[in-house]
Amino acid sequence: MPFVSELTGKVVADANGARVGRLDDLIASTGGNLPHPPIVALVVKRSRGTLLIPLCDIAVLLAPAIALSKPIESVAPYQPTEHDLYLVRDVLDKQIIDTNGMRVVRVNDLELTRVNGRFYLANVDIGGLGLMRRLGVARTAETVAGRFGRSVASGMIPWDAVELLPGNQPMRLKVPSDKIADLHPADLAEIISDLSRADSSKLLDSLDVETLADTLEEVEPDFQASLIETMPDEKVADVLGEMAPDEAADLLAELSDDRSEELLNLMDRDEAAGVRKLLSYPEDSAGGLMNSEYVAVRPDLTAAQAIAYLRETADEAGTIFYVYVIDEADHLIGVFSLQDLVLAKPKTPVSEFMHKRVVTASLLDSQDSLAQAIAKYSLLALPVVDDEGKMHGIVTSDDALDKIIPTAWKKRLPHMYR
Amino acid sequence: MTVSQRLRPLRMRLLMLLAVIGPGIITANVDNDAGGITTYSVAGAHYGYGFLWMMPFVALALIIVQEMSARLGVVTGKGLADLIRESLGVRLTALILGIFVFANLANTVSEFAGVAASLEIFGIPKFISVPVVAVIVWLLVVRANYKWVERVFLVASAIYLTYIASGVLARPDWTHVAAQTLSPHVSLDAEYVTLAVTIIGTTIAPWMQFYQQSSIVDKGLKITDYAYERLDVVLGSLFAVVVACFIMIACASTLFVHGLRIESAGDAARALGPLAGTHASTLFALGLLNASLFSAAILPLSTAYVVCEAFGWEAGVDRSFGEARIFFGIYTALIAIGAAIVLLPLKSLVQTMLASQTLNGVLLPIILVVMLRLVNDRDLMGRWVNGRGINVLSWVMVIALIALTVLLVLLSVFPGLVGPA
Repeated sequence: MPFVSELTGKVVADANGARVGRLDDLIASTGGNLPHPPIVALVVKRSRGTLLIPLCDIAVLLAPAIALSKPIESVAPYQPTEHDLYLVRDVLDKQIIDTNGMRVVRVNDLELTRVNGRFYLANVDIGGLGLMRRLGVARTAETVAGRFGRSVASGMIPWDAVELLPGNQPMRLKVPSDKIADLHPADLAEIISDLSRADSSKLLDSLDVETLADTLEEVEPDFQASLIETMPDEKVADVLGEMAPDEAADLLAELSDDRSEELLNLMDRDEAAGVRKLLSYPEDSAGGLMNSEYVAVRPDLTAAQAIAYLRETADEAGTIFYVYVIDEADHLIGVFSLQDLVLAKPKTPVSEFMHKRVVTASLLDSQDSLAQAIAKYSLLALPVVDDEGKMHGIVTSDDALDKIIPTAWKKRLPHMYR
Repeated sequence: MTVSQRLRPLRMRLLMLLAVIGPGIITANVDNDAGGITTYSVAGAHYGYGFLWMMPFVALALIIVQEMSARLGVVTGKGLADLIRESLGVRLTALILGIFVFANLANTVSEFAGVAASLEIFGIPKFISVPVVAVIVWLLVVRANYKWVERVFLVASAIYLTYIASGVLARPDWTHVAAQTLSPHVSLDAEYVTLAVTIIGTTIAPWMQFYQQSSIVDKGLKITDYAYERLDVVLGSLFAVVVACFIMIACASTLFVHGLRIESAGDAARALGPLAGTHASTLFALGLLNASLFSAAILPLSTAYVVCEAFGWEAGVDRSFGEARIFFGIYTALIAIGAAIVLLPLKSLVQTMLASQTLNGVLLPIILVVMLRLVNDRDLMGRWVNGRGINVLSWVMVIALIALTVLLVLLSVFPGLVGPA
């Protein structure tokens, strides 16, 4: 299978044997959304300028010299389109996103494959062997490695798992980048932490507000702050509205007072009010960690009515592990899980199957005591009540255990260069 | 409009400046590292004010080069090694980075030599000081937070101001200084030419270009901040050269007038006599130690980052050793080999330091040519390519440097080639 590095530099001659120039670049076409773009033209460098030759005029590509099938005068130059991807100019040596391995890598070489006489871009070589090949020492390296009983790392990624960096995409190219949006936010966050500032902000710009909010929730607040630094306030306000209120509060706490005030004013009234409330508590207390989005119902609802209610409102609540039961004055009087709800007979009022002894936390409880309670009772979430027993929010287990178990998986702000 | 409202734009602009300042000033301070201080001291002690005429040109050259590197960083958002790899291909990258690593090894040797020399003033032999410091530096970077390290050293580098003070307190004849600065006189003996190349090499060290550009990219500066960044670069460069000049003046008016040559760091310490009297040695030793430590910490690290960035290997001090093997390998090797070389029975630590800076000067044209190629690439820089004036100046610089290097080589091979001027 030919590699692009082996092809570039080859002499190109026409059907009469007259030399045309040297192969400088190859053009692949990304229109048609094939997993492996076909090669459509060659870029030949001549003494005066370059010439684009369509692939159909090439008789032989894989030979010491590339031969055309016609004399040079009867070759009609290839017309550039907006789907052109120049392999050397746009892909080789550039950084790309490997959506299989969820990382940012550098292209060392490109592998073509031949099917039915046509050439397609098959794989991207990111391994050490590719590097050696470019330097012309691949065979030597393999021999040397062979003596030691090892082999040189060859890392091949199929082209359909590759995403060009938004910053590197040529202006006129329209490459669909839905691969990125399909990635899990935690993986997206991982990739972003590998990119430079300029590239990561371009990548974030290409995401929709929801994915952006999910991705931001996967990184530490100081990293979040640096990522949104350059975003317009309106967009940030939208993102904040999409994020869970406690996450939004953490992010706002990282920003300057001026900016966070401006953002709160731009946000939806109710959302802003929820976030402001959370901001009023100390960061490490139950009040500061809690989420004000939870589901609560009246004790007189039946199981069937409760399910119907959930269908209507659960969209707003982030987590519905437990449903809390409150009276008219918002006092917490019981809790039940989804399991309880589904197993109960539809006409049973919730007051009959709810658990009346509820484990709660107070607004100013420390993170340690929250973590202990959650661990002791094996809870997924802990309701937070004030001195009168009124419910204010819930602390989910991941937030409570956050500082206790180091969240190594949450991306930190890259420091010192990265 | 209240006073606070009117001051707001000014405050904002100052804050902007402060936020952006960093790369330029840091680089300038890093400039005055062990090799730098030694070079300027030797220049002052052996030739008096004879090199001062060159310094304005060196300042101009430094500003031009630093500005280009800053502009590259701000416009492309990528580091220099990154750009070289993406625009010039693997072969050239391997060649340039190979040279770069070699030069940086020499510079690391110089930093450890500086550490050894400064601690020798306190009576600590190099066989103890160097290994201990090497381990400390390694741990410092791998364990501690870099931002904190950077700030500590920056604050400590206020010690350089003592040179300025010393230069003033030595009461040189300022009219004489001015006259010398304005009249170029070149002696064509080997030592003069070597020192000229060395001075340029230590002021415009190739590794600084990589470091500054990475630093700028890391800050995420945009084009709109560019005016501030340019100011930062200019101020930083000027500061570096001013300190250099004062080091020369201080040594000239204390050592040169008495015909004393510098063979060891202790000799250079004497130049601070007018300021610190009996504590001259201590002050000098502290300044040299601070400069050497800081550079010994960031130079190997910067090299490792640059190489890994260019070849797509995992890099970062927050990774584990298993994840970023090559990165840690390069970093550790540079520190270990650099320290080891200093421990060899060398004739003179001062000579070692000078030699590494001369190497910088010889290699500088290569990096400059590469940068010129990148900064004139319209695809890369858009409308921020070099203007014709800067291109002309830069090429003049490159040619002058290459000419100096050729002259240097000729003079060292054929010592009597050109008679005394």
